[in-house]
Amino acid sequence: MDRREAIKQLAFLSGGALSLSTVAGIMGGCTAENGGGGSFTPQTLSDAQHELVIQLSERIIPATDTPGAKAARVNQYIDHMLTNWNTEEEKDHFLEGLGKVDELSNDQFDSNFVDLGEADQITLMEELEREAQDNPKPDSNLKPFFSMMKEFTVVGYYTSEIGASEELNSNIVPGHYNACMPYSEVGRAWS
Amino acid sequence: MEKKEYNISNPPEEYDAIVVGSGISGGWAAKELTEKGLKTLVLERGRDVKHGEDYKTEHMPPWEAEFRGQGNRKLFEEEYPMQLRSDVINEYNYHFFVNDKKHPYQTDEENPFLWVRGYQVGGRSLTWGRQTYRWSDLDFEANAREGIGVDWPIRYEDIEPWYEYVEEFVGISGQEEGLDHLPDSIFLPAMDLNCVEKDVREKIENNFEYRHLTIGRCAVLTEPHKGRGACHYCGPCSRGCSVGAYFSSQSSTLPAARNTGNLTLRPNSIVHSVIYDKETNRARGVRVVDRLTNESKEFYARVIFLNASTLGSTQIMLNSTSDAFPNGIANSSGVLGHYLMDHHFRVGASGRFEGYEDRYYHGNRPNGIYIPRFRNINEQTKQEDFVRGYGFQGRASRPSWGRGSGMEGFGKEFKQKLRDPGPWSFGMTAFGEILPYEDNHVKLSTDKENEWGIPQLEIHASIRENEENMREDMAETAVEMLEAAGGKEVSPYFGEYLVGEGIHEMGTARMGRDPSTSVLNGHNQTHDVPNLFVTDGACMTSAACQNPSLTYMALTARAVDYAVNELNKRNL
Repeated sequence: MDRREAIKQLAFLSGGALSLSTVAGIMGGCTAENGGGGSFTPQTLSDAQHELVIQLSERIIPATDTPGAKAARVNQYIDHMLTNWNTEEEKDHFLEGLGKVDELSNDQFDSNFVDLGEADQITLMEELEREAQDNPKPDSNLKPFFSMMKEFTVVGYYTSEIGASEELNSNIVPGHYNACMPYSEVGRAWS
Repeated sequence: MEKKEYNISNPPEEYDAIVVGSGISGGWAAKELTEKGLKTLVLERGRDVKHGEDYKTEHMPPWEAEFRGQGNRKLFEEEYPMQLRSDVINEYNYHFFVNDKKHPYQTDEENPFLWVRGYQVGGRSLTWGRQTYRWSDLDFEANAREGIGVDWPIRYEDIEPWYEYVEEFVGISGQEEGLDHLPDSIFLPAMDLNCVEKDVREKIENNFEYRHLTIGRCAVLTEPHKGRGACHYCGPCSRGCSVGAYFSSQSSTLPAARNTGNLTLRPNSIVHSVIYDKETNRARGVRVVDRLTNESKEFYARVIFLNASTLGSTQIMLNSTSDAFPNGIANSSGVLGHYLMDHHFRVGASGRFEGYEDRYYHGNRPNGIYIPRFRNINEQTKQEDFVRGYGFQGRASRPSWGRGSGMEGFGKEFKQKLRDPGPWSFGMTAFGEILPYEDNHVKLSTDKENEWGIPQLEIHASIRENEENMREDMAETAVEMLEAAGGKEVSPYFGEYLVGEGIHEMGTARMGRDPSTSVLNGHNQTHDVPNLFVTDGACMTSAACQNPSLTYMALTARAVDYAVNELNKRNL
């Protein structure tokens, strides 16, 4: 995206009241060559939490024949939402959840999550998901950590350019309407 | 005229006609008045919006939106709470809805009225649902037949030629069905039903007498029409459409009015009140407060059309007091502000459909299906516990990645699964008629004003037993039809409905035959003040269950025709 155009659109969307850090964050998103780290400086997540978020999101939607969550910079989306969208309560709950991931990891494998191998990471995440399913609403209005992480990743990925137009079929200006056609002619879901 | 308290910074201006409001009915008043040669001033309380160039989010992809389309939650919760509760605003369209904090009103905390508003040139015609249905004598005769409210002063034959007149200009896509109680419009080619919708249509018609499923009738072009482009099926119409594929004042009526050379459009002009001249018993003009400078100004004309939206027009009338009309202009009956209606909804059902896993669609159809009213349409369909009826709107579709948050698993398989669309599901929601109740009403606050010195509205409205009973029936028939159509896991939903969120607010300056029980006559002319007309939703005597905008348009064109004839005969 053209930098000036991006700032104009952002200013428009936010009624002009956009903080410099937000602009910096999003502009970083437009220029960083590689997802995940690069020049991005998280506003809410610590470096360790940030790395953990990158790895969790990539395990949820990994690179396959199309790029995954890390390349789609889902980590930047999550940090942006935590900083500017979620309530303090939700943010604290999420950060606490990240802490528990490492507690669990250390209990079981004597190591932080990011240092585990693929198989151990998956085992741990399966356990987190089971826990979330068994206890869908630990508090009245807060989702379990894993559900929150998954929702962040799914929304962040499929609303990114990679997720919406490389992984799925983008249909921003379809041009015409066909009410009923063989799915094989489309091949992938519309984003 | 008591204008001493106002600081008139500019000389008054004189026109043939003044139209207050530039939304769906104001646009029509402007077009008709200017085309008949009247120098017309259109006053719009909100900002100017340039057709096309100000639709800045029109095809914005989610990755360019700051919150990926979810909107600035903190801003919405703090400044747009009522618009947010009505579930209509998002990151791409909220600039076409009011900031509730800047435009407050009073309502009951326990049972609030949700007042959805769009203060800009084009009003809510930029964001409307675009569904367009004629009414019939089942609707116009209902009050008289059942002894509810007052009788409509018109019948279908009075409005039929005006439906034809506006439809020809608007461009409405739809399918002829030949139903007496939902007369066909003049249609452009219909949008197609998808394969599951066709299947459901057939099964509903085979299983239930008097029930039909048709494609929604909508003011979206399926072919070029009067210089406007056909729909390109991008989907989110409420961001604005630069090719004018859906009807709005911006795409259609205001350009037509402009072309006559007779239109003056003044944005940022909040009408404070109508000026009444006791000597002539005429509305002399209007008082305006400039939204940006707070300066007051007066404009004069021979005829005045109020099209400021249902509650906007009533608010202006209530605030137009004089010795002759201490309770609001043209309110000798005392019914101004009463009999507020809407359409109640948030009841329906959904189910999964099998057998079409290899079928999909291309394009985002800005339209759904319609199941016309089938209750109380004849002796055979008469209900014991409620009068009137409801129609269903809905669609069949296949969910995309949105189902992912709630789907089990993660990793490669999870991603692969979301690459394909989910199973077909069919969902539908009923929209039902609300009866006119005297105590569903608005009045001016005695102690709260907005920042332009105009008393805030106080709004009180609730649904009653007839509507509650109807809601039970809505859920039952929705389930019964989807089950008969072969749906799996059919489940009803029964949500909370707050009056107003149908965004079909109607009434409060109703039409009627008797000046002692109504504000307007059969030509939308106030009984009391001959050159004052109200042709927006405020005029409605009953609510029917069809989307009302088409009827506002037809009534407006009809009223202008009458008003200009009367002007020419020097009767106004």
